[in-house]
Amino acid sequence: MVQRRSLVVCAAALLAAAQQASACDESVDPARIAVAGGSVTEILYALGAGSSIVAADRTSNYPAEALSLPSVGYVRALSAEGVLSLEPTVLIGEDDMGPPEVIAQIKSAGVPTIIVPEVHSASGIIDKVRCIGRLVNRDQEAADLIDNTLTPIVAAINATASGSDGRKPRGAVLLGLRDGAPLGAGLETSGDGLLDMAAAANVFDMFSGWKPVSMEAMLQADPDFFVIPERGLNDAGGLDALLEHPALRLTKAAKEKRVITMDGMTMLGFGPRTLGAANTLAMSLYDNDPEAESSD
Amino acid sequence: MSYPSERVAGAPTTAKTTYSKQWLVLVALGITAACVFLAAASLGAIPVSPLDLFMERAGRTMQRTVLLEIRLPRVLLAAFVGAALAVAGASLQALFRNPLADPGLIGVSGGAAVGAIAMIVFGTTFAVDALMPYLVPLSAVAGASGVTLFLYAFSRQFGNFSVTTMLLVGIALNALAQVGIGAFEYLSDDTQLRTLVFWMMGSFGRGTWTTVLPSVAVISIAVAILLLDARRLDILQLGESDARNLGVDVDGLKKRVILASAAAVGAGVAVAGIVVFIGLVVPHLVRLLGGARNPYVLTGSMFLGAALTVVADLVARTVVLPAELPVGLVTSALGAPFFLWLIARTRPQ
Repeated sequence: MVQRRSLVVCAAALLAAAQQASACDESVDPARIAVAGGSVTEILYALGAGSSIVAADRTSNYPAEALSLPSVGYVRALSAEGVLSLEPTVLIGEDDMGPPEVIAQIKSAGVPTIIVPEVHSASGIIDKVRCIGRLVNRDQEAADLIDNTLTPIVAAINATASGSDGRKPRGAVLLGLRDGAPLGAGLETSGDGLLDMAAAANVFDMFSGWKPVSMEAMLQADPDFFVIPERGLNDAGGLDALLEHPALRLTKAAKEKRVITMDGMTMLGFGPRTLGAANTLAMSLYDNDPEAESSD
Repeated sequence: MSYPSERVAGAPTTAKTTYSKQWLVLVALGITAACVFLAAASLGAIPVSPLDLFMERAGRTMQRTVLLEIRLPRVLLAAFVGAALAVAGASLQALFRNPLADPGLIGVSGGAAVGAIAMIVFGTTFAVDALMPYLVPLSAVAGASGVTLFLYAFSRQFGNFSVTTMLLVGIALNALAQVGIGAFEYLSDDTQLRTLVFWMMGSFGRGTWTTVLPSVAVISIAVAILLLDARRLDILQLGESDARNLGVDVDGLKKRVILASAAAVGAGVAVAGIVVFIGLVVPHLVRLLGGARNPYVLTGSMFLGAALTVVADLVARTVVLPAELPVGLVTSALGAPFFLWLIARTRPQ
């Protein structure tokens, strides 16, 4: 399993490297940027290019200024004419922007379209910042952000993790309850990347993608803690309802009430904030402090 | 059950005035459809209209591209899918002699969806990508045909469907379609899942010439077949044995109507996803306007279905600019209240 996983990571890294060479080096005019993807918006604002954004998608909820931008819809359901009507000079998006036909239409109307490579790891986030910095001619700002903020966070996580006996906490990232079954993060998901960044192990390494997890599979995996987005927790009816759920009730995490909740885009958006989220997660895990944050 | 076709056998003395009135309605509907088409092609987030092409005002290449590559295929797709759903709905209503036969409600669209999704998930393993625009609609047509044939066999087994039975069977078939969709969702890998999610968000916005033209071709042929059978569908309303005595090849007619309706629905669903209520609402509106003769109802449904769907899509893509609404939301908002009214009306006394 470990072998397969490292193989996947290697392949993903190679693929990303190949993509990065093409996508990030493209020369574009960053005067009017349309964005499809919350992490791209977050990074553009962090690099001081927020004022060049003319439109953003619905996942762009950070920083607060981004909420007042014209919305071009959900990142996976963009409208070609809607985007074009804002006369962007470039469309920068995450790898799940679409539908592909609409992206093709936008390209054919002469708007360069850049898909920023997505790798669910700390270096993936750093590469993303560097990539976007290069695209909008803000390499220096990108380097500053990486050196002054991101790299120190990675170092802090490593320091936190190295202080323990080397046994990784084992956890599960859940999106929420879908049709009554918890939707768990398997390999090759943003949830898996978050756990890995926080120096924790993913209990669901037997499948890939987001999958509904059965009661027995959950018991067998027996995670030490759960991470769940706030929205997923609210949809499930709050912390108590979640912990009472038959599929979760008997796990170690539920008995010790170790549930960490975060804003969904902070947790899984893989912008700079996700690195901070991983740091928070690592600290709460390795301090052995049974800190069960609850949203109610 | 009060199926309006009873009126056909009704008053022969007024037949002549009915015919001329129906001609008038058809001409009016045809003109409406043409006007709506032009209006929809002229309206959108970016100010450009087909007239600009002739007056060479569309000098900027971007506007030209928007018009020719984005808006026209989209409006054309909406018009054809709307016509297909309405004509298929009217034909199925005549075939089943049941006023609530809508391709979406009775599971035909669901069958098409399962067919399309099966091809999206499994097609990539044996087919080249370039063929997918043709294979997905083909598979959707197969799925829709399967459901329609099943419905027909089922109704033969149990005598004609009552309104309630047909809706209950529709619920069951739609549930089965959901099972199929869920299973394929589970089986698909990450890339396929992504394609699948895009596909299920169905909208006319995904219409590009390569995806629109195969569907338009299939829909044209299927609708033509249905229109040519419209008179025989009238005779079928007398009952199967009477229709046979009058020289109608009943079995051949049923097969043609089932396959052509399924083809029309499947070709639309494959590109635009499931759009409900058009197949239900439009034929009823056309009957209210001018009577229940099937040649009239089918032709009128073609025009009105196209016009209503184009308007629904226009609303969907302009009310929340620069984003857009799912078109199914708009047709359901129009159709669901109408559906309730229809149920209240057809309730057994």
